[in-house]
Parts: sequence; C-alpha cells; structure tokens
Amino acid sequence: MDRHLLPEEIDLLLDGEVGFGTPPLKAHVRSCATCSRELESARVLVRTLEHLPHIAPSPMFAGRVMSRVQLFVPWHVALLDTVRGLVPQSRPLRVAAGALFATMAIALTALSLWAFTRIDAVLFTADLVVDRARSAAFGALGGALSALLGDAARPLLAGGALGLAAAALLLIVTGAAAATMLRAAAVRARER
Amino acid sequence: MALALDLRNLPDADVAALAKEGREPAFRELVRRYERPVFSLIFRMVRDRETAEDLAQDTFIKVLNNIDRYRSEFKLSSWLFKIANNVTIDHLRRRQLATVSLDGSPHAQTAAEAQATSLDVESRGESALEAMESRELGSAIERAIGQLRPEYRSCILLRHVEGRSYEEIAATLDLPLGTVKTYIHRARHELREALGDLRE
Repeated sequence: MDRHLLPEEIDLLLDGEVGFGTPPLKAHVRSCATCSRELESARVLVRTLEHLPHIAPSPMFAGRVMSRVQLFVPWHVALLDTVRGLVPQSRPLRVAAGALFATMAIALTALSLWAFTRIDAVLFTADLVVDRARSAAFGALGGALSALLGDAARPLLAGGALGLAAAALLLIVTGAAAATMLRAAAVRARER
Repeated sequence: MALALDLRNLPDADVAALAKEGREPAFRELVRRYERPVFSLIFRMVRDRETAEDLAQDTFIKVLNNIDRYRSEFKLSSWLFKIANNVTIDHLRRRQLATVSLDGSPHAQTAAEAQATSLDVESRGESALEAMESRELGSAIERAIGQLRPEYRSCILLRHVEGRSYEEIAATLDLPLGTVKTYIHRARHELREALGDLRE
C-alpha cells in the first residue's frame, strides 16, 4: 500500500473488523509511523469514551418515577394472587389444607357419580323442589296482591299463573309511573 | 424483599413480563437497572442536571406506563434508549426554538434599540448543584462531547459509553446503518480535533 490510511479504514481497524480487507491495512499500520500514530490516537479516544462513568440521578428519582406510574394488575393475576393468599404459609397447615381439599373433591366426585347412577330419582326430586318453590312464590305474590287490592285481586288470582303475571306487570308499571311522577315533582321543586 | 433479590438475577425480558402483570417490584427493578445509563445519556445530551432529571423521569414514565406494548423479541434497553433519545431530541428542538438572544433584537436598527431589547443577566456565584455539574461534565472529553451535534452525541454515547453495536444504534435511533456509521465517524473525528493529539 503506497498511501496513508483513509479515515474509514482507521475506523475499520478501530472497530476490530476482521475479514478480507483488514490484513493489508494492519500490515500498513505496522510499517507506517504516521498511520500508526493516527490509529493509536483514535484508540485512546475510544478508551477514554469507554471509561466515562455513568452519572447517578438524585436519590429521590426512583420514588418520583414510581409515584407517576399507573400500576394495573390484570384480573387473572389478581385472582391467582388471591388464591395464593389463601394457601397457608406453614408446611403442616398447607398439608392439612391440601388433605381437606382432596377429601372435599373426592366426596363431591362420589356424590356426582351416585347422582348420575340414580338420575331418575334426582330428576324427580328436582321437579318436586321446583314445584314447591313455584307454589310458595305464587302463594306469597297472591297474598301480597290480596293485601294491596282487596276484592279487586280475585279475578286476577282466579286466572292462575297468567293472572298473576298480569298482576305483577301491572304492579311494575304502576311503580315505575309513580317513581317517574315523584322524580318530575322533585325536579320541578328544585327548579323553583 | 425476597422477590426484589430474585429480580436482580432475572433477565430484562422476565422482569418486563412481571411488570406487565402489574408487579411493583418489577417496575422498581427496571428503574434501578437503567436509571444511571438513561440519566447519563440524557445529562450528556442536555448538560443540565434538573432538565436531565425531568426528561429521564418522562422517559421512564412513558416506558413503564406502556410496558404492556413491549415485545420481548426486542431488547428492553434499546426501547428505553429510543424513548430517552426521542424525548431529549424533542426537548433540544423546543429549546432551540425558544432561544432568545441576550444581545438584543436582531431587528434593532440602532445601538440604542439593541440596548433596549437586550436582556440583563446577573452575574451570580456558582451554586453547589452547578459546581457538581461542572465537576461531572468538566473534563475535556465531556466538554468536547457537549460541542457535538445532538445526533452525533447520541450515536457516540450509545456506541462507546453504552457499548451498543452499530445495528442496535440504528434500530434504537431509527436511522439507516450507513448514517449511524457516518455520524460516529464524524463524531470521533470532531472529538479528536477538539482534544488535539491523544496519546497515552
């Protein structure tokens, strides 16, 4: 090489590039005092830059940042945390809680299997329970209607389920109308 | 405390994943890890401690409030430096627009008009904070860095103070690789010019 290194070539050597083009450059630096001095000067600059220290912000910096960060815990993480919070800390208590949980799981599984094998009895019982609950609800509603409307409730009660549904609808509509009128009166009073 | 100690050994991506779950210690750990590099970069760019604190604070708040947008295939530090650089460059641009000449209005026709529109700056003693800044940025190399164009400054600091590769710098600063190489080359050249012949 019969010339001095170009600035880009000094950069190549500075960045420790290896490969096809660099051996002739290195050979030239070994034989040329000017280029050797140039490269050394560039290396000193890089070393100086690399030794620049990191500067610390004030001690309150992290606190100030954290006071303005919105912490948002997703629901699944919150749920998991709640479950984890329910798990006892000490080992014996954890074992006891595990045993209790396992016992309950086994009992529920056994109950489910028993119910599955006696599905007819289960359906019959469920039907009975629903029927009794419906009778109780109708009885309570009929009592309330009789107390509110007196004799006027008789035709509705005689109409059975349909009559009761009509009475319930009438009650809801009357209630809503009364609430609307009260609200309108309150707004007018406030305006005055 | 145990979680905080564990977090110190985790890679950035794992800490960021915990931060996405809303874990406060993970947020604190990210601030602890990067407060010095980010603050140093910004401080060397703006050369004013108070402004650097404000800008570094803005950087962390932006990053941490948007941590759910972070994708783990990228380096968290590159994302942080990208936002720090953007925040700082925006500030420097705004400051450039708001610069007022101390010598009076450029439209002044006479010396009297210039005098009337000039600003008086009182000479004052160096405060403790300013003395600290002078010490921190007072060396010849720091002063020379301060004379570089902001684009050169961020490139050279990321390359040699933070040890980033050219490719990472290009990705961080949204610049073509060739431009990054040119900026770093020019920055090195200007620094050597400013510092004279450097030899150990």
